[in-house]
Amino acid sequence: MTKRKMFLRMITASLLRRRSRMLVALLSIGIGATILSGLVTIYYDVPRQMGAQFRNYGANMILVSQDTGTLNAQSASDALEVIGTDQVIGATPYRYVTAQFVRSQLSFVAAGTDFDQVQLTSPYFVVDGAYPSGPRQVLIGKQVAETVGAKLNSVLEITYKPSQKFVSGGEAVPGATLVGSAEGFNTNPVSVVLTLDDQMKIASMELDVSTQTEEYGGRLGDETYTKRFIGRAYPLEENDETDVLSGATITSRAVLEAISTAQVTDNATAVTGNTMSMQVAGILDTGGKEESYIFMSMDDMAALTGEKDLYDVMELSVSGTADELAGYVQTMEEKDLGVTARLVKRITNSETAVLSKLQALVFLVTAVVLVLTMICVSTTMMAVVTERRKEIGLRKALGASDDSIRVEFLGEGMFLGALGGVMGALLGFGFAQIVSVNVFESSITFQPLLLPITVVVSMVIAALSCLWPIKRAVQIDPALVLKGE
Amino acid sequence: MSLLEIRNVSKIYGELKALDNVSIKVEQGEWVAIMGPSGSGKSTMMNIIGCMDKPSKGEVLLDGVDISKESSKKLTEIRRDKIGLIFQQFHMVNYLTAVENVMVSQYYHSMPDEEEALEALGRVGLRDRARHLPSQLSGGEQQRVCVARALINHPELILADEPTGNLDEANENIVLDLFAQLHKEGTTLIVVTHDPEVAEAAQRTIVLEHGRVAREIINENFGK
Repeated sequence: MTKRKMFLRMITASLLRRRSRMLVALLSIGIGATILSGLVTIYYDVPRQMGAQFRNYGANMILVSQDTGTLNAQSASDALEVIGTDQVIGATPYRYVTAQFVRSQLSFVAAGTDFDQVQLTSPYFVVDGAYPSGPRQVLIGKQVAETVGAKLNSVLEITYKPSQKFVSGGEAVPGATLVGSAEGFNTNPVSVVLTLDDQMKIASMELDVSTQTEEYGGRLGDETYTKRFIGRAYPLEENDETDVLSGATITSRAVLEAISTAQVTDNATAVTGNTMSMQVAGILDTGGKEESYIFMSMDDMAALTGEKDLYDVMELSVSGTADELAGYVQTMEEKDLGVTARLVKRITNSETAVLSKLQALVFLVTAVVLVLTMICVSTTMMAVVTERRKEIGLRKALGASDDSIRVEFLGEGMFLGALGGVMGALLGFGFAQIVSVNVFESSITFQPLLLPITVVVSMVIAALSCLWPIKRAVQIDPALVLKGE
Repeated sequence: MSLLEIRNVSKIYGELKALDNVSIKVEQGEWVAIMGPSGSGKSTMMNIIGCMDKPSKGEVLLDGVDISKESSKKLTEIRRDKIGLIFQQFHMVNYLTAVENVMVSQYYHSMPDEEEALEALGRVGLRDRARHLPSQLSGGEQQRVCVARALINHPELILADEPTGNLDEANENIVLDLFAQLHKEGTTLIVVTHDPEVAEAAQRTIVLEHGRVAREIINENFGK
């Protein structure tokens, strides 16, 4: 038999045949290791857990187009690829247009979106009724509902006129088509469609005076009158009385007014717009600006506007630390995808702050547990040494050197450490799992690497805890085994 | 040359002279008893011979080496290599079996050899009890295991401290018979005792009183 075999035989015998004492030491190491490995698991799992919690506060990243226009579906999906599907909890596109209620002529913001994603990126939305699930259904803001007196299942007729987009910026530009109208004789309207050339001169003009008296204003419908405007700079000089024809004063003044107040439209046929009947599926209560919006599916939005796959903004809920998020933003910039990503600072920053505080707390508790475990193991080993004074004396009397005594006790301690470490790693996972399920309401995955780490750390702690007891053991006088002491 | 020669050894604890200028010689193969009442210096003598203590004055030559000047580390080595110890309280490692207890001695000395350890147990008539824990052995059996442990490394000297102090008469006789057998094989034996019967089994008895050698008695009936 080799010395090593005998060494192992002595140590295992010591542990197995002195069960009750060793069980106490094993328990103190095991419980310490359990709490340690549990806390370390939680420490590393907290960002993920808290990240998921923070995602309840809404999107933490916003994608918009780089050049102030609209975002197309392709560049949005390229941007999502940068982040990776695993990290994206939700990605909600929004398309905003101003539409009107047909009956009341009131304007409101219509938002096209994806309701499945809305529930992921804005879990805090409170919906009375349900999210729209079919075509021609809308989710209306509480404020809108109050204004128009809409209830669940009410049907709203809404209309969208693309020209309205140009109202605010409706100044004439080279190449534009202008549409104008004014009240003529007997308040009957005259209308005019102008096209401008690239020098801002009138290139063509169509005049509708069919509502005017035939023998007076109606005469202006022939080409001899409209011809005089062709080639003139737009807008016309004011108070040019030569354009006012006697015998058709009211009508010609109306034509001049229609020309001067004409507004830009990109497409004369779109002026008519689309009108759709929508059923209220739900009423949205957020306490925010969303209450003044009407939400509909992207398909309905496309039907309303005639434009597909265009978004104004995409809200993303992405799991990851502030640094990781900043990394995604940078990568998107570098790849030049035509999108600009912005972080929602109030979310990402508070998340980082809370996480670092929580991790600091767990770290502190871990350190305290570490020290307590060492004290506990040290005390137990001290008791072991005291209890085994005679045995140590005997071993020394039989010729054990100080080093053999050290190695034997260290061996026992580290063996206990290893055993306690395995126990701690397994129980620690259970402990972390229980904490996770109860506190964060989600489970954690077992980190295989944690097993060897816990075992090694436990062995080191056990070894350190044994140092003082070993010192005491070495000082024991072999002579104490003599006589009846 | 004597195996053990103690020359003018004194051991002083403060005011107390535990040993006072003692000189003793023990020859190779001799069986010597050291006797004396409590406080006579027996224990101190035992500690010094057993390399567990050093004298304040004087020389102790064991196998020609002066152990009174050695470091405690060196003393441990000398004790391990030359001396087999037997104690009054037996002192077995209570979680190891009889044979493992014998092997502990081998372990510190050189190499554990279970066969040899079993043989040694056979010599003291305990081969069939080799796998028993101390708690499963009687006092006499435990002391016999200790004898086996003491002789396993073939020491120059077996030093026994009240070896029969905790034994009944039957077991005392068994142990003394073992000593007689070891003596016949040429082992040097020093037995410290206060029991005259145990002392009488030896060839020679050195009586200590107040830290001095009071007298020496040659056992004329030895071997008869």
